[in-house]
Amino acid sequence: MKTAANLNFGEKAFITAIDETHPSFRRIIEIGFTPGQEIELVNKSIFNDPLAFSLRGTVIAIRKNEAESIILS
Amino acid sequence: MIANTTVSTPLVTLVGPPNSGKTTLFNLLSGKNFKTVNYPGSTIEYNSSHFLPKFDINCNLLDSPGIISLVPSSPDETITINSLYEHPKFGIPKLVIVTVDSSQLSRHLLLVKQLLSSNFSVIIVLTMADILKKKGFTISASMLEEKIGCKVVKIDGRTGKGIEDLITVVKQQLQKENDEVTYLNKIVPNLHAENVLNHFKEIEAIENEVVNQIADEKDLRRANEKLTTLSQKLQSKPDSFTLKLDKILLHPIWGLVLFLFITGAMFTSIFWLALPLMELVDESFASLANLASNYFGYNWYGDLISDGIISSAGAVLIFVPQIVILFLILGFLEDTGYLARGAMLIDKPLSKIGLNGRSFVPMLSGFACAIPAILAARTISNRKERLLTIFIIPLMSCSARLPVYALLIAFIIPKENFLMGGFIFSFIYLFSIISSVIIAGIINKFNKSIIREEDNSSFILELPAYKIPRFSSVYRNTISSTKAYLKEAGPVIITFSIILWALTYFPNTNPQIDITNLSPEEVHEVQKMERVSTSYAAQIGKFTEPIMKPIGMDWRIGVSLISAFVAREVFVSALVLIFKITGDEETLRDSLLNAMRNAEIEGTNQKLFTPSTILGLIVFFVFAMQCLSTVAVAKKETGSWRIPILQILIFSGFAYFAAFITVNGLRLLGFA
Repeated sequence: MKTAANLNFGEKAFITAIDETHPSFRRIIEIGFTPGQEIELVNKSIFNDPLAFSLRGTVIAIRKNEAESIILS
Repeated sequence: MIANTTVSTPLVTLVGPPNSGKTTLFNLLSGKNFKTVNYPGSTIEYNSSHFLPKFDINCNLLDSPGIISLVPSSPDETITINSLYEHPKFGIPKLVIVTVDSSQLSRHLLLVKQLLSSNFSVIIVLTMADILKKKGFTISASMLEEKIGCKVVKIDGRTGKGIEDLITVVKQQLQKENDEVTYLNKIVPNLHAENVLNHFKEIEAIENEVVNQIADEKDLRRANEKLTTLSQKLQSKPDSFTLKLDKILLHPIWGLVLFLFITGAMFTSIFWLALPLMELVDESFASLANLASNYFGYNWYGDLISDGIISSAGAVLIFVPQIVILFLILGFLEDTGYLARGAMLIDKPLSKIGLNGRSFVPMLSGFACAIPAILAARTISNRKERLLTIFIIPLMSCSARLPVYALLIAFIIPKENFLMGGFIFSFIYLFSIISSVIIAGIINKFNKSIIREEDNSSFILELPAYKIPRFSSVYRNTISSTKAYLKEAGPVIITFSIILWALTYFPNTNPQIDITNLSPEEVHEVQKMERVSTSYAAQIGKFTEPIMKPIGMDWRIGVSLISAFVAREVFVSALVLIFKITGDEETLRDSLLNAMRNAEIEGTNQKLFTPSTILGLIVFFVFAMQCLSTVAVAKKETGSWRIPILQILIFSGFAYFAAFITVNGLRLLGFA
């Protein structure tokens, strides 16, 4: 299963689902990571965590374990 | 919940996601006149104000903290959101103005949807249409109004254009007959996830209709040029300049190098810029104190006013320049959008020791003063991480330690040797940073017994588009942080300084001394010292003898260390009093250093201040929890005495232990 944490630099993909069991689930969808949206990995911090995604016209940084709950097509 | 429309002054509340231009709008509507009000019994702050007189609207205007959703995720957010529904002081808002970034429509309309489904009376203010235009798009306010079902006004935050339209709409909405009882519905959390997804679907449909490509030929050509390189959904692409700049500023290696450089430069500039101002405060209060004792004469109340009150007010105000400069610089960095990147860069290392990228700014502020730093920890939504951040902030080397280190270093390093002094200074800072990281890690390991909180650790942060910072938005935070410092530290320092003054003044108020050949000033000085050495403070100090002896010191340092509990820098002035130093301002430190060199542990020929006891003292000041105002603020912000008491026990206990090891270790190695 491909998640946002597996994206390479500059790679784009569509979100198909968000893992509802993740403790940050609600925050993740509220900030705009919803099924059907296209995201792109634009930056990684040192140690490859957190990751920054381009989403809905802005850039959102989330931790790697949070990115793992974002399931891509 | 039933809306109570009988509240005397109607309330208009500003709501909006972070980075949506809410603060700019608040400034435009209210001028720079505002009061910071705390939600009773909590640390949530609201800025309250009124509309500018020229707008002729008699309403309270409330600015609320930035939120992205009406469903809270942390205890603080629960309070923020509950008081949006009904504020304990101002009541229920008659009108809610929501700021929405035009280029972020699809994210920011979520809050609007939630407010509307809660039955709030809502006006949308569209901001940053210029950014959308730069991307080649335009937004139709009237279309949005029709689709979403509430009034929409466009405002240009830079020029204030559109503000008159907003005022007209606000007046219309307020005048609307509001006889029917309004019910405000709280959003039910368990249905929430599905709601959010549905809202987003509706919003995306709306966005497609209201946002259009610019038809103007010239703009269109420019937009078309961009279209060839970007995907078709151009408005969903972040600002390209920001993406380019982030390639450097968030680079795994260069990003880190620049991060260290920027924070380092910030520090240095804080110290250099603040230094002349601090000297100015110091000198003016010294001459004010002189003036007072000349005016009132050399009696107990003259002494109370000059030594007790004026000097302690000076001790409070001397840190204002540093705090103002720190928050100005932090504010500018925040406003450019860089601080969010800093938090992202440092999140991983900090999460290893149980902290969060958001702990970074509070910890940095701790190098100026722990009080505003502890207040700044409010931005950390995770309770455990917030408490842990507050816990270790006193270990950051605050500026009150500077005069102490300066004196102690001057004792071991000759004045001419600038380089060595500077080197030791940097070493102390590095030492304090490394040891506070280690201590934070240890405290995190014992989280269950020390912090006693467990919370889902999360880091979700928008990295806003870079922009040129504006003074008006920086100004507000600087003022409120400075006010917070004065309010929290002022009364504590002044009260305890007066108590300390009394302890050093009584009971021997009129000591007998030989006054032959002495000027009135000299008589006053000699009397003062005689009074101190026979005072209550000296008597109490003698009790510290058994504690001070193992670390090679005596009761005189003990008294000074107790005085340092008021504020660390008081240590120096306490030494001046105890070692009976007289002299004019210029040579005060030299005479103190001389007295320190000659001081012997009472009853022996052993020197009191040696390189090993000096290093022991430095180590003590690195770790010890000494500042009463910090204790008071930590109590207030954590909601109980537990954390501040643990800070005193753990930090001061460890400080004593470390000083013991340092002094005795050095002596075993053959140092004096």
